[in-house]
Amino acid sequence: MASVETTRSGGDTGLPDLVLRGMTLGYLGWMVVLPIIALGFQSLVAGPQAFLDAVLDPQAVHALKLTVVTALVMVVINVVMGTATAWVLVRYEFPGKKVMNALIDLPFAVPTVVTGLMLVLLYGPSSVLGTILGTYGFSVIYSQPGIVLALLFVSYPFVIRSVQPVLLELDRAEEEAAATMGASGWLTFWRVTLPTLAPAIFTGAALSFGRALGEFGSVILVAGNQPMKTKTTPLYVFGEIESGNKQGAMAVSLVLLALSLGVLISLNLYQRRWSLEDGK
Amino acid sequence: MKTRVQGLAFFFLALGVGLVAGCGGSSGPDASGDVIKLGAYSVVREAFHDALIPAFQEHWKQKTGRVVRFEESYNASGAQARAIASGFDADVAILSHTGDMNQLVEAKRVSPDWAKNPTGGIVTHSVVVIGHREGNPKAIADWSDLAKPGVGVLYPDPKTSGGARWNINAIYGSAYLASKAAGGGTPDLAAVADLLKRVQANVVNMDASGRQSMSSFSERGIGDAVVTYENEILLRKREGKPIEYVVPEATLLIESPAAVVDSSVEKHKNREVATEFLAFLTSVEGQKILASYGFRPVDQTSPLLPEFPKPAKLFTMADLGGWDEVQTAVYGPKGLWTSIFSDQGK
Repeated sequence: MASVETTRSGGDTGLPDLVLRGMTLGYLGWMVVLPIIALGFQSLVAGPQAFLDAVLDPQAVHALKLTVVTALVMVVINVVMGTATAWVLVRYEFPGKKVMNALIDLPFAVPTVVTGLMLVLLYGPSSVLGTILGTYGFSVIYSQPGIVLALLFVSYPFVIRSVQPVLLELDRAEEEAAATMGASGWLTFWRVTLPTLAPAIFTGAALSFGRALGEFGSVILVAGNQPMKTKTTPLYVFGEIESGNKQGAMAVSLVLLALSLGVLISLNLYQRRWSLEDGK
Repeated sequence: MKTRVQGLAFFFLALGVGLVAGCGGSSGPDASGDVIKLGAYSVVREAFHDALIPAFQEHWKQKTGRVVRFEESYNASGAQARAIASGFDADVAILSHTGDMNQLVEAKRVSPDWAKNPTGGIVTHSVVVIGHREGNPKAIADWSDLAKPGVGVLYPDPKTSGGARWNINAIYGSAYLASKAAGGGTPDLAAVADLLKRVQANVVNMDASGRQSMSSFSERGIGDAVVTYENEILLRKREGKPIEYVVPEATLLIESPAAVVDSSVEKHKNREVATEFLAFLTSVEGQKILASYGFRPVDQTSPLLPEFPKPAKLFTMADLGGWDEVQTAVYGPKGLWTSIFSDQGK
């Protein structure tokens, strides 16, 4: 996810270049920026008090907490398992590796509502697995673990696909040098490999976190949708729209949007700092 | 390579032109007959699509010699009301409850006098019931049984489902009226809220719509009890998938309205056929068809119509103060149902 450098110098300004540039900028503005401005304007137009009341509603606050906490739990698991998976894919040769590599992108292709349905079928209270888990007092579907499972599924490829290319291009000379100097495998990984992978891991983590904040299709099927228990912010926003509370829906949407933007901006800042430190 | 890209571009262009032309063709003016755009809530789909509309088409043909074609849209009641209020030009609106119809009056789509007819604007009746598992293993007979420990309850989310509002209003109303009678006119609202809270604590999953709730219960085997409309259960029976159910002694009469959407029929110049369709819904023929799909006839006294057993303490929304009052008292920012969540600290 390193930023793509421009291949043409800025001084090259023929008319076609200007038109092309203007067109793509305009397209970005129209497709992405304009809807965001519309939401921002509409949600603030009722005044700061109405905005605060909507955002500080106990159900809205709980929904936001739940959304962030489930997303964070997912990110931690994704970082560990995603890095390990990328490692296995790059450093080992084994039968079935090609199939495994292809399967990793599958979650992107599955419609999220299908994801939800699959999870309900597998872990639902009336499924075999759900019944077994139930006898030990675990419930997955219609409780918070179900939300984390759905988020893990839909964000599965992010960390792997961020780390994999960096790991592929990694210069192994440093690792070998560390090994020659007597460092153990773990120490080499911890001190030499991981710092190089850190920006890529961070990128994957941030992308999956951002993705999880807005996840709706799969979560609505597995969460159970209960206020103050399992209703995440996207579900809350949907409910408020459906029950005619437009102000509440817009205000909470704006908070969610600000959170996603915050993640994106901090990702960009981090990447810039890292590339500066690296002397690139 | 270049020619392939061009070829592909040409293909998509042709496809686009074809689609646009196709759309134009189907929505063009139909000189041969009348058209009614129907904006209905999802629960009536089977009854309308499979039986009522064909019967009315026959009726209209015999009466006028003209053909009437229907463009049908079915959606959750609240979503349908919002669509019509913000511009969907349905000629006839069939909604779950009067609260949704009031939205259309506010948006100036439907005349404020819409309910001034012999049935008060209502076209179907039903009652709120509790579906349970075979043999009733959890011994569910009344609303309070839904609050017993270990009973998994299903009803949809009242934020998204008009059906859920009927369901929760039934639980609320039975407790409210009982407490009002016991307290000599002043109900103990804390006790009412307590029942709602204990039932809600047993809710396993809140689906977006009543239909989804029913399929969670019957197809996915979730929960021990589902709060739903009687007609939803009778429809399942008709389709050969019966669900056992109980009608609580005190339950709520579901009254679903229909109205002609003035702004649409003026635009389409089809008020005559739309009005006739509305009248057909409450005619003996229309009510018989609806009854065969599980809806209770609006006129319970007519000897021509099938009889449904009447619950001992049947009450209506009017007994609870009407839709507007209940919407505020139960679902408003300080409403009873809202408060059972804001009291929960976490």
